[in-house]
Amino acid sequence: MERLLAPALILCFFIGSSPVARTQTRDFSPTLQDTVLLSKLSTDYQQHFKEELNQLPSENKKDFQEIYGNRWKNIKEKFDKREIYTDAGAQSYLDALVAEIVRANPSLAATPFHCYFSRSYIPNASYIGEGIILFNMGLFDRLSNESEAAFILCHEISHYILRHQENSMNKYVATINSAEMQSRLRKIKGSEYRKNEQLESLVKGLTFDSRRHSRDHEAQADSMAVVLMGPTRYDPSGALTTLALLDGVDKDGFDLENNLQQVFNAKDYPFKKKWLKQDNGLLGGHARLQEQELGDSLKTHPSCPLRIRLLTPMVGARKRGQAGGSASGGVVDAAKFAALKERFRYEVIEYAYATDDYSESLFLSLELLQTSTSDGYLVGNIGRVMNGLYRAQKGHRLSKVADMPSPGYPSNYNSLLQFIQNLYLEDIASISYYFLGSWHPQLDRLALFRTAYEESARNVQEQ
Amino acid sequence: MCYSKKTSFPVLLAAVVSLSFQAVRAGDGKLSIEKVYSAYLRNSGAITAKNQIKGYFFLYQSDKIDRHTNQYTLQILDENLNKVKDIKFEDSKKLSLLESSYNGNTISFLFKNEDNKTLDMKIYDFNGQLKYSYSREFDKKTDELMKEYETRHTDEGMNKNVFDLGDRGYVSVLPMRDGRQRTYEVDYYSSVNKSQWTYVPSDDAEKYAFAEYMGCTDSLIVLQVEKRNHAMSGKSSSHIVGINFITKKKQFDVDYVNEDQILVPCSVVPLEGTNNLMIIGSYFDKGDNIDKDFSKGMAVYEITTSGKILTKAYNSWAGDFAKYLPANRKGKIDDIGYLYIHKVIRTPDHKLFLVGEGYKRTANALGIATTVLLRSNAVGVTKIMITDMVIMQFDEKYKISYAQIYDKNDNSATWSNISDYNSQHLLATYLKMTGAFDYEFTTGDDDNSNFSVCYSDWVRSSDYKGQTFNSIHYNGKKFTTDKIELKSKASTMRVFPAKSGSVMILEYFKKDKRLDFRLEKLG
Repeated sequence: MERLLAPALILCFFIGSSPVARTQTRDFSPTLQDTVLLSKLSTDYQQHFKEELNQLPSENKKDFQEIYGNRWKNIKEKFDKREIYTDAGAQSYLDALVAEIVRANPSLAATPFHCYFSRSYIPNASYIGEGIILFNMGLFDRLSNESEAAFILCHEISHYILRHQENSMNKYVATINSAEMQSRLRKIKGSEYRKNEQLESLVKGLTFDSRRHSRDHEAQADSMAVVLMGPTRYDPSGALTTLALLDGVDKDGFDLENNLQQVFNAKDYPFKKKWLKQDNGLLGGHARLQEQELGDSLKTHPSCPLRIRLLTPMVGARKRGQAGGSASGGVVDAAKFAALKERFRYEVIEYAYATDDYSESLFLSLELLQTSTSDGYLVGNIGRVMNGLYRAQKGHRLSKVADMPSPGYPSNYNSLLQFIQNLYLEDIASISYYFLGSWHPQLDRLALFRTAYEESARNVQEQ
Repeated sequence: MCYSKKTSFPVLLAAVVSLSFQAVRAGDGKLSIEKVYSAYLRNSGAITAKNQIKGYFFLYQSDKIDRHTNQYTLQILDENLNKVKDIKFEDSKKLSLLESSYNGNTISFLFKNEDNKTLDMKIYDFNGQLKYSYSREFDKKTDELMKEYETRHTDEGMNKNVFDLGDRGYVSVLPMRDGRQRTYEVDYYSSVNKSQWTYVPSDDAEKYAFAEYMGCTDSLIVLQVEKRNHAMSGKSSSHIVGINFITKKKQFDVDYVNEDQILVPCSVVPLEGTNNLMIIGSYFDKGDNIDKDFSKGMAVYEITTSGKILTKAYNSWAGDFAKYLPANRKGKIDDIGYLYIHKVIRTPDHKLFLVGEGYKRTANALGIATTVLLRSNAVGVTKIMITDMVIMQFDEKYKISYAQIYDKNDNSATWSNISDYNSQHLLATYLKMTGAFDYEFTTGDDDNSNFSVCYSDWVRSSDYKGQTFNSIHYNGKKFTTDKIELKSKASTMRVFPAKSGSVMILEYFKKDKRLDFRLEKLG
């Protein structure tokens, strides 16, 4: 539900949106998740985790068990919450992308791993442990070609084979239990005054050290990814174009406020400016905080221009060294790549709704509706979400399904959250009803639309 | 410690919390950063502006500096519970934070320093930089008086002493004891330059005076002041006092006793678009004793900022109110009793709403038995019951045009003999000050175009038995009601005021030692 996530040990790709004009020819229907498969995978990985626990060093075993246990908890959640995408076609395509990398790098066969698509909208990919790499749909749908996807896979595979995560955890446990650290902690504990000041200084040192290692790991994974791409048919310059995309991280391309005024401006229930009212002061949820601007020494990733600068000579050399030349277009299946990109734009919306992240589902739907202007699924989902917000507010559980405005969110998403906060129950009911009404009866063929429209009519009646 | 709508954080009852460290543990018998670090929550509360909640503060003792000094961390959360600022400073060991207010540009904090016996007002900018600091001394007797200070007009969870004066600064209204005199003091604190001044009433009649802040205009601080000749006896009179914070002088002090009727104000509302004020209150016949006699009805005066009356409107219990409520000439309403007015709300279309709650005296079987059998009058022969909520609407001429009763369960407010002897007016004041009413607070838009009146109740039905939190919502056209059942999986569940149109729901899970709090919009 949190819009910005940056776990320290994973690769984060935040990419600005780039609306692509397209038309929706068929109504989207979400893939049914294979719960039997998810359950089986979860059980298998749990077995793997248990075996891993038995092999942990005996010294500081409790700490190791705790830290590895937390990692497993996170992995299990991915299966329990059905985040792992089980569509067989998509999985076999991803397997084929990976197979091309493994085929060209036979040494990888010695350390088996598995890649899955995650249904998350967050533009990210990550190695999460137990040999599992997740490729978020929210990142895949923004890529231009298979070579970019391959770079991301190679980057995560590098984290895996270089054991970055495990090394960090081991270092962490060793540091905290070291004689030097224990002696410093004892000394601090014995101090009568300025105890916390000394602790803060200690933590600061640890944090800087940990972040520096994290940045080093990212740079190593970038370099190794290019090395892994070298013998494949993928174009190594995919590394540079992917990193260039990263630079658009803070760009808010979607004019949400203008969009809301257009989409929810019904003739019988015109848009009210006060629905967008926001307080930009320190306490209004939209403040710009100085703390958000991290110093370089606290960043987990090197800056993208620096990463590009470091990789450019390597990429040039690899390109020159590729015997048969690289394929800038499709290596595995360009048509499938494009079809999945299109599908994933919808799957992330559906998953956000399924996981009670209504505000995100609404944001993504409105964003996509800009270019797919008469898309039945998107219209139906917007109505479904608005009805869900109505139910939640009525039942005093709105905060469980909609984020609150926060200085940590991008400004356009924050505007949507403020819009939700500014609506009274009768507004939500009417906005949904009149919005859906403008698509009635032409979208009545869709069950999602029909159900949402009928529910909105009942809500308006109730008000 | 992280505050967000979905974040739960474990709390120990002593409120020992970690401020900024992530869990860094070590094995058995070994030290961890988490084990060594501790911070103690000293105070927490709401940050208000224009009678609305805009954020929250948490004052932690974050370190010991030396024998006399602590380091404190003042954590500021915005109206959505996001942490927006940590301010660190060093101060005396005996420090507490009384109240905080916000004016859009700065945040003010009124600290009480028990070591130096000073009240310190500190004004910070958004970057956490201290802009101005003001200090004044207080003595032991004043301190005792401050602890006793309870207001009659402040909503639950809202400020009693510190208020913003727009972008100019802040005002605090505090009780003061000087010898035998019990009076009050108004302190003005500028947020635009280093400037502070104090107003202390000098009038002899204000030897025993109790002041409450009622509101402000762009130049006036408006107070309601109840004055008495003697501390415990004598006739009291109710005044509206205007203090000009530009000229630093009292601009008017009116009690309206020389009119045909005596007005006892319960609320003052600045009239937008004019420099005038509207005063609402009970009225009595000239010569009545407002402590003993029954009021005749409710009156609304419009006055200038010099205190001159422009218009008067009277609504008698027997004539005007009786058209909409079954009220007699003393203001007693069938089954409800007398009304205590909690809130006056003026909407942008100039409608006026009064929020009242009933209270009535009934026979107390236990008290009668105790009096007869034990010859003791410790328990009163009557008891006071708190009854229903009543919303009354007044038209643009301030005449009542609508009233609606909202049923709730009657509950006993007091069993002591205070219920046997006191007048209607004193009883209502006593009930309000002891928190006996079910009314909690009113929340809504800045301009009151939407508002929700909130109160608690106890429900006993086949579906649910327990406490409920209720609201009566006005959307500019009609009223609707909403209810939150306070029985959940949590060990305890409480509702607090929050930003406009929302409430903060706090749930404590005893078994997990977990405290969840989240903001929810009222339905």
